[in-house]
Amino acid sequence: MTDARYHVVHRTRYVYESRVAVAQQLLHLTPRETAWQKLVAHAVEIAPQPSEITEHLDYFGNPVRHAVLDSPHDALTVSAESEVIVSPRTGGFVPAGSPPWESVRERLHTTAEARHLEAAEYLFESPQIEFSPALARYVARSFPAGRPFLDGVHELNHRIHEEFAFDDSATGVSTPIAEVLELRRGVCQDFAHLMTGCLRVLGLPARYVSGYILTTPPPGQVRMVGADASHAWVSAYCPQAGWVDFDPTNDLVVDHEHITLAWGRDFSDVAPMRGVILGGGDQELEVHVTVTQTVAPAQRRRSEGLAAR
Amino acid sequence: MPRQLLSAYPPASARYDEMLDAGRVPREHWHTMFEQLSTAPAELMRERLQAVQRQVSENGITYNVYADSQGADRPWDLDVLPLILPHEEWRTIERAVIQRAALLNRILLDVYGSQYLLQQGLLPPALVHGHAGFLRPAHGVSAQGNTMLHLYAADLARSPDGRWWVVADRTQAPSGAGYALENRLIISRVFPDLFRDLKVQHLAGFFAALRDSIAHWAPHDDEAPLVVLLTPGPYNETYFEHAYLARYLGFPLVEGHDLTVRSGCVWLKTLSGLQRVHAIVRRLDDDSCDPLELRGDSTLGVAGLAEAARRGNVLLANALGSNLLESGALLGFLPALSRSLLGEDLQMPSVGTWWCGESAALEEAIGRLDSLVIKPAFPQLRREAVFGDDLSGARREEFIAQMRAKPQDYVAQEMVQLSQAPVWDRQHPRRLLARAIGMRVFACATPNGYVVMPGGLTRVATGSNARVISMQRGGASKDTWVLAPGPVNTFSLLRRATGPQDLVRGGANLTSRMVENLYWFGRYSERCDNTARLLRLALERMIDAVPSAADAGWSSITALLRRAEILEDEDDLDDVALVRALRAAIVDEDRHGLAGNLRQLFRVASQLRERLSLDNWRTVNKLVQDFAERKGQTLALSDALSEIDRTVVALMTLSGFALDGMTRDQGWRFLSVGRRIERLQFQCTALEQALAMPPCGSGAPDLDWLLALADSTITYRSRYMARPEWMPVIDLLVRDDSNPRSIAFQLKGLHDYLVRLGQSLGDCGAGSLAPSIESLNTLDPGRDLDPGSERLARLLADLQEASHMLSERLGLRFFSHSVLRQTYAT
Repeated sequence: MTDARYHVVHRTRYVYESRVAVAQQLLHLTPRETAWQKLVAHAVEIAPQPSEITEHLDYFGNPVRHAVLDSPHDALTVSAESEVIVSPRTGGFVPAGSPPWESVRERLHTTAEARHLEAAEYLFESPQIEFSPALARYVARSFPAGRPFLDGVHELNHRIHEEFAFDDSATGVSTPIAEVLELRRGVCQDFAHLMTGCLRVLGLPARYVSGYILTTPPPGQVRMVGADASHAWVSAYCPQAGWVDFDPTNDLVVDHEHITLAWGRDFSDVAPMRGVILGGGDQELEVHVTVTQTVAPAQRRRSEGLAAR
Repeated sequence: MPRQLLSAYPPASARYDEMLDAGRVPREHWHTMFEQLSTAPAELMRERLQAVQRQVSENGITYNVYADSQGADRPWDLDVLPLILPHEEWRTIERAVIQRAALLNRILLDVYGSQYLLQQGLLPPALVHGHAGFLRPAHGVSAQGNTMLHLYAADLARSPDGRWWVVADRTQAPSGAGYALENRLIISRVFPDLFRDLKVQHLAGFFAALRDSIAHWAPHDDEAPLVVLLTPGPYNETYFEHAYLARYLGFPLVEGHDLTVRSGCVWLKTLSGLQRVHAIVRRLDDDSCDPLELRGDSTLGVAGLAEAARRGNVLLANALGSNLLESGALLGFLPALSRSLLGEDLQMPSVGTWWCGESAALEEAIGRLDSLVIKPAFPQLRREAVFGDDLSGARREEFIAQMRAKPQDYVAQEMVQLSQAPVWDRQHPRRLLARAIGMRVFACATPNGYVVMPGGLTRVATGSNARVISMQRGGASKDTWVLAPGPVNTFSLLRRATGPQDLVRGGANLTSRMVENLYWFGRYSERCDNTARLLRLALERMIDAVPSAADAGWSSITALLRRAEILEDEDDLDDVALVRALRAAIVDEDRHGLAGNLRQLFRVASQLRERLSLDNWRTVNKLVQDFAERKGQTLALSDALSEIDRTVVALMTLSGFALDGMTRDQGWRFLSVGRRIERLQFQCTALEQALAMPPCGSGAPDLDWLLALADSTITYRSRYMARPEWMPVIDLLVRDDSNPRSIAFQLKGLHDYLVRLGQSLGDCGAGSLAPSIESLNTLDPGRDLDPGSERLARLLADLQEASHMLSERLGLRFFSHSVLRQTYAT
């Protein structure tokens, strides 16, 4: 397999019923650079023009943009455009070859090895991930005693895909996982939260990843679910293999079809746009994401109609 | 005599007694006090008790209890006897608290910095990453002077062997230092001679050190640093203390929406624009401080504050994230952390506490449940402590199952046998009772290390065998006297001298919220006055004679009562219903009328506490308290009248303070504008009702009531010595600008204030009054001072409209209050 090159346009538009006097927005719209992902070009346009924009890395190492809009506005448009090269990364993935899941739990909880410290960040409850007996019961089936850790994760990933229906009307950005578990439906964000919660309730490290997948598949391939908006999946930490990403929405082990934006404990850490506004009244929100695969680096990008959510 | 004093004071068999030794003889440092109590005449002690209660009530010291049926504003419960501690013992406590503060500060710096402790395994990840109080956006925050913990409090308890132990650490926004100060002011006045003779150490130096250290570290370049005290608002349980400390320390008291973040700096929204804030002493919880990066559902904070703190542009005391250390789970790790970070053993132990997240600790806790108290491991869990020996049967099994399901959420703590101290029996003239006590000791960071307030807040349990002391559960408090070995030390300040750049004029820091409250303070005090006078008029008429509908003046009065919604439109005017409605308007604050308006006045005044002098505040406070006492009583009409008389006098005292006791700054002008607008509207309404009276044939019109309502009877009589007639009455109440109740006086005053405000704030609408002033000046005394004058009627109507518009306009421009809202996009 070779590197894939993607062009991403992520456009967010708010229309407010009454004027917004002041707004501050925190944007997680810049793909982070990783061992397998390079950001070749990137620009964010905001209209109206913010009075201030600053950039920093958040606690998890994700790039963040902080925009302040201090003149009154009725609408806000944020367009993020990125050119990304993603390398294959699951080369030697053999789920059955990983250690028993109990030993992963022991390792992370009882020793303080500095190299696993980053993973210890992702072992606990977080604002949108609450443990419950129902959650523990749900996950137990995938983790019988002694099962290799990644084998269990892989099966859990598959089960969630099988047992939950994709339904973008059933839930919202703050639906608790207990409700998702009961409804048996939701969107990629819900499935990622659910699976993250399942692993953590067993004492296993898992983080929430926000990003994109191809909206227009290569000829002959099926269009993936969750492609019109930003996507979300799960990354599990195995002391031997490091972080391995799973996409329960598409029943996939993540490779180079996924473009990573940011990761954190859950959605609240990495929401693409999190804002505080003064005024505004009712608001309408539209999000369009278009991801196209650029065939050759030199080739100009195709003009692409935006797929409405 | 001592025998009687101790007749109800039980021997402390299983606990330490602060006052008496094992032979029931007063300890040395209690001798003088005990002697006093034994010999003081009963009458003197009674006076002392009353003095304490009077001061608590006059100063309006309150503590809001959430669960109490009395709700907000419960009076502070202060015992007359101080807790006394000898010098040497205090030195031990002081050193231990300084060490502990320094240790906790080091832990905070580490967790929010290099995280060496996690890497070395000295702190388990669960206590950091698994702690809801670990604020990731606060990581990498810039700590001025290497200090994140500026103000710290330790809750101490004394075990039967006389040693002090730490029960809990308060590291986020410790409360109680202000109450301790207020306790001191009251108790030192009750025992002035003892206080001097015993050489009790003073508290003022501690607060000066706190104030000056924060100013010293505030990133202020060369400006005079502006330090504010950030409060969640009047509904917080310790709001009294926030306002009190703000006033005492000279910091503006602000709420989240008074501040804004621009260019990574924090600014105070003031009347004259944005003013840079260099340091924030916060009483707001960590996670409520910034809706942009922290808990988004809280509207109490300031969007962008975390970013400003990370960039080092504002000092936060305490630093964001310091709540982390309030976890009882940390206590068991402190001895090792102390050795590792400070190279010292802990000088004062924590009460034995184990975090159940470690499986051995969990099993031990379950095994010894009867002798332990189980507490939530993290304050964010907001759960009550559970005493093991309270549990039995199914309840016990269920609780153990809960602990096993989430062991990391629990800590087990040894039960402390609290020491006992004497409190004065309020039911008995000369008798001491024993109560369990604990002590909250405060430390603040200074450039020379931590200093400890010499004397803390002693908290008193409700019974002698109490296991917990909680202000939320109705505990009381005591002043704490630390005796000095030699002459009482007055703290020498590290404060730099005040330079010319520090001089301040004209209330530059007036926040928009403060200005709004001053404006409404003006309006409500005037509204109370108008309502009181109207009710008095109605009551007097009822007492004099049974009024009839045919009585022209009476119909105007009832019309005004209807306008004020004291009478409802459908009320028919039988005497019984009328008296009932008038009484309700005087005592029932849930109805329209005097009591309700006074309540509003009090509400606004509470928000202005740090701006009002103590005398001024007492006047407001007493006014409302007197009414609160009458609530639900049936007043005789004559009593109601004298009640109103007293109210009118108190309200005049308030306007006296406004006239003679307040600086003529912009805030004062807003207060005065409020008064003028309210009075203008009331006088216009009263005149309109008078003009609408049916003509009374040949006889003189009934205008006495109108003069009385406008407090102008004396002036009229001294000028005309005759029964009131239309022309001179209208002249006096409308055109005469020397009469402080006349329309002309209000208009002229309003115009002047608005012009003055406009000079520094830009046009404030003085011009909108010009047409009314013009028509007032051109009234024709020959034709227009008559009920039939159309020009007069139009003037009154226009004035009502203009004053209403003016009020709206000022509100929109200067008081704009909007609530922040959080948004998410995927």
